[in-house]
Amino acid sequence: MSEYSDKELLDLFKELEKRNYAFSLIVRKYQEKLYWHIRKIVVRHDDTDDILQNTFIKVWKGLEGFREDSKLYTWLYRIATNESLTFLKQQKTKYLLPIVDYENQLKDTLESDLYFNGDEIQRNLQKAILDLPEKQRIVFNLKYFEEMKYDDMAEVLNTSVGALKASYHHAVKKIEKYFKED
Amino acid sequence: MEKFNKKLEELKGDKNPFSVPEGYFDSFPQKLQERIASENTEYYWFARFFQLIKPQFALGFMIVAFAVVAITTVNVVLKNNTDSGIESDLYTRIIEVDASEFSEQHFIDVLYNDEKEIDEQKKEETDHYIHYLVDEDIDYGTLIDEL
Repeated sequence: MSEYSDKELLDLFKELEKRNYAFSLIVRKYQEKLYWHIRKIVVRHDDTDDILQNTFIKVWKGLEGFREDSKLYTWLYRIATNESLTFLKQQKTKYLLPIVDYENQLKDTLESDLYFNGDEIQRNLQKAILDLPEKQRIVFNLKYFEEMKYDDMAEVLNTSVGALKASYHHAVKKIEKYFKED
Repeated sequence: MEKFNKKLEELKGDKNPFSVPEGYFDSFPQKLQERIASENTEYYWFARFFQLIKPQFALGFMIVAFAVVAITTVNVVLKNNTDSGIESDLYTRIIEVDASEFSEQHFIDVLYNDEKEIDEQKKEETDHYIHYLVDEDIDYGTLIDEL
């Protein structure tokens, strides 16, 4: 099955009888990208699965009203990012933990998670990333792992390109410091 | 920092340290469609129920709104009408006396003995009426006839 462009998918979605088909194509096109984006924020597979489903349900409900003032791809990432941040906030209030403690829980998960197969250096890198503030962590993940352009990232995070570049630069410095101290 | 950036690029590599259960991405679209379908069903039943009871809700709301407006209006009108120079318990004391045994002097004594604070202007008017009744020797029966 050749991949449709975002424009083609949106045009297909506008046809009522083809809506379900268009949506399933969007899911198949973006499920992995969004999954890994979410997974790097929340670490655990089960949590990622829930958030990914919630993301696509929001996409399903909102796609009819999507005004195309941003790209479909950045819109999807924005929803996924917001759902992930909401999840982290809920975890903090659920257990009455400050977010720092929750990040420590996630670091412990890396030690024993069935679905983490990295070596020690990879584990240390993930722990260093977990030490970053949430938004900075997302900037780092999008730039480093997904090689997203700053212009697209600005649409996803609703932040200026300059601020994003500064954020990424600070994130790299903090990770470097983490490795030196380790 | 340049050196560390190089190291970071090397670390990126091809291998993803995270993994997923086998077949996860193959089964995810189906799982998602089932969840959307079940949420639509719940929403469908709620929407139908709401459509059925909407006319009754509207009628009930209108009745309640009308009752509130009516009660408020009556209360406001009654409040305005009860404002007088002589308090109602004084009326009661007067009326408790048998009409056949009513004496103007008794009426006057009660009014003069009333210790409640009355508006000075109204008091003056009341005194004027009392003096008139006494001076002109107008009895109770004549007063009733005039009214």
